[in-house]
Amino acid sequence: MHLDLSELSQLAPIFRELFKGYHVSRRDPELYAQLSNFQDAYRALFKALGFELVCDTRGFYYFVPDTAITSAQVNKTAQRLALFTFIIVEHLADQGRDPIAVLDGGSLGRDELPSLLEKYRDLFVQAEVTTQDELEEKIMRRMTQLGFASEDNGVYRFLPPMHRFLDVCLSVQQDRDLAASLHSILPLPTPVLIDDEAEVEEEDEEAALARAIAAEQQEMDA
Amino acid sequence: MIEPKRVLRALAEHWALLEPLCEHFDQGTLSLSELRLQLAAHQLDSTPQDITNVLDSWIRLDILVPVAKSPNRFELNAQIHDFLAYLRREHRLGLCLEIEAYLRHLERLAGYIQDAFDIRDSNDLARQLRLLDMRVRDVLKKLANDEQALVAVAERAKTSDRQIPLRQRYAEVLATWDEYVEPMIQLVNADGAFEQGVRKVENVLLRMLSEQQRLGHLVDDDMLLRTHARILEMQTSAQLTLRHARELLLPLREEARRHNAVTRGAALALAAIRRKGLDAVPQAAMPMFTRPQSTFLGSASQVEAYVYALARFEPKPARFPKAHKAHRGETPKAPRTVKEMLDRCSDALPMPDLMSWLLDQEPNGDTDELLYWFSRLSREKRFVRERLERRDYHTHEHLVSLRSFALLSRGDDANETSASPLHAS
Repeated sequence: MHLDLSELSQLAPIFRELFKGYHVSRRDPELYAQLSNFQDAYRALFKALGFELVCDTRGFYYFVPDTAITSAQVNKTAQRLALFTFIIVEHLADQGRDPIAVLDGGSLGRDELPSLLEKYRDLFVQAEVTTQDELEEKIMRRMTQLGFASEDNGVYRFLPPMHRFLDVCLSVQQDRDLAASLHSILPLPTPVLIDDEAEVEEEDEEAALARAIAAEQQEMDA
Repeated sequence: MIEPKRVLRALAEHWALLEPLCEHFDQGTLSLSELRLQLAAHQLDSTPQDITNVLDSWIRLDILVPVAKSPNRFELNAQIHDFLAYLRREHRLGLCLEIEAYLRHLERLAGYIQDAFDIRDSNDLARQLRLLDMRVRDVLKKLANDEQALVAVAERAKTSDRQIPLRQRYAEVLATWDEYVEPMIQLVNADGAFEQGVRKVENVLLRMLSEQQRLGHLVDDDMLLRTHARILEMQTSAQLTLRHARELLLPLREEARRHNAVTRGAALALAAIRRKGLDAVPQAAMPMFTRPQSTFLGSASQVEAYVYALARFEPKPARFPKAHKAHRGETPKAPRTVKEMLDRCSDALPMPDLMSWLLDQEPNGDTDELLYWFSRLSREKRFVRERLERRDYHTHEHLVSLRSFALLSRGDDANETSASPLHAS
């Protein structure tokens, strides 16, 4: 396939965003238009470089990480965001609102978050979210960083990539094992996890440094 | 007997009043006082006597009829109501069973036609053929009516309030699907009543055409051919109506089903998480993301390398020290540790511009290393950062354009009352 790099005028910003895990949707008109117009070229170029560009027909683009590295791992962000989606769906359904209308282009006010946190505290705790600040930092900010939502004047608007999490709901619904497991006492297979959160990495880095310094001092003392 | 011309004239003359009333009559009946109010609202300059005259004329012409056992309430004459609905393209969806009943009748008529032909009764044959033709027209009219009604069902669902639950919003779609489309699919199936009926009538007509050639004409061939053509038109029309109904309603029905599935999936997942923790959701279902930005900045010149890889990118030659040669000049610096850099940064607080400070500290530092430190130090939790305007910075090998940060220690920030909000890097 012939690639004309001069046509791919947004290559650098597109690569930068996708590489960060960002989902490009119509919210970023320039990048989205470039990707739609030269979808095949971008896909071929990224494939040659070892990245798989997914073009979702529901209107968004993203990179799938290398399956060899991640197939057995679920990152913590994904778990948190999925949990948040489940909670929002149930919360809206309980209120008699239409969850899909909200999560597919609808919006949620920041003022709704405290009651949400209160109502689902037991579940948020499992995702290490206990305060409103943590909810905003670990979930809402992450959602905006990854292109699942945008924030404007205290209103979060959900973007088309949210379909990835709605798909999780659908696949859970179709998962008979999971439904069956709710009625059995056997534990579910636990996925192997890696924490790729920035803050966790930093803590690890600190700990490693402290260990290295301690080892160095021991050596020097010896 | 009411003269038709008078009825039609009254409808034409009072159309502006009747049309808005149709919507009310679609919902139910109206009392005399409600009717007077409605008419007064649409004819502001009329006197009560004028309104009484209009209502009198409608009642005399049987356009308005009293509701049985409620003489003070009125409704539109059913025939007039249907006619007005046709004119307003407001159709009520019929029942699939009605079409099936028509089809059964067509089959019976085909039997009568065959009998009339067998006993060579040309009058009866012509009468039965006319009946068949009219019955086919009835089916065609009904199919066209149903198609309009289906369009209205889909439109109502799509335009209703997005805030009400989907189950309520799409209740009419789901009911229409179950009560009309699904039985119609069965009816129009290859082995369904529709196809069987059409085939039976068609066979009778075609056999009669060939028999007439042999035994002599009882009716005009054209009449048989016309009826045959109309039967085929009815068959095509039924298939088209059904296809249209599926195209209109299937996406909405799927949306409603998907909505139910999503809600159920979310509830299932939450139940599993409550019982077995966050890992209970199967990992295969989880979306995967690429690693976040910190890795990106930490690794060497990745964007550049990747972007220009196909455009004759030339890497710099790597120079490895040679074991047999003594090292001349100054000894290479040991790499800086995070702790060392953090301490130096803390000592330099408050810092007006982090990137300028880094360039002062490491004037000969590699760009990727400087950017790594920039990223690392700006995200350090013990500092408060404030985004600066974009400007260019010269490293010893690149020109970097970025929005740097001013750094303050947490203590300084607490003293300042007008702290700026944090920005994402």
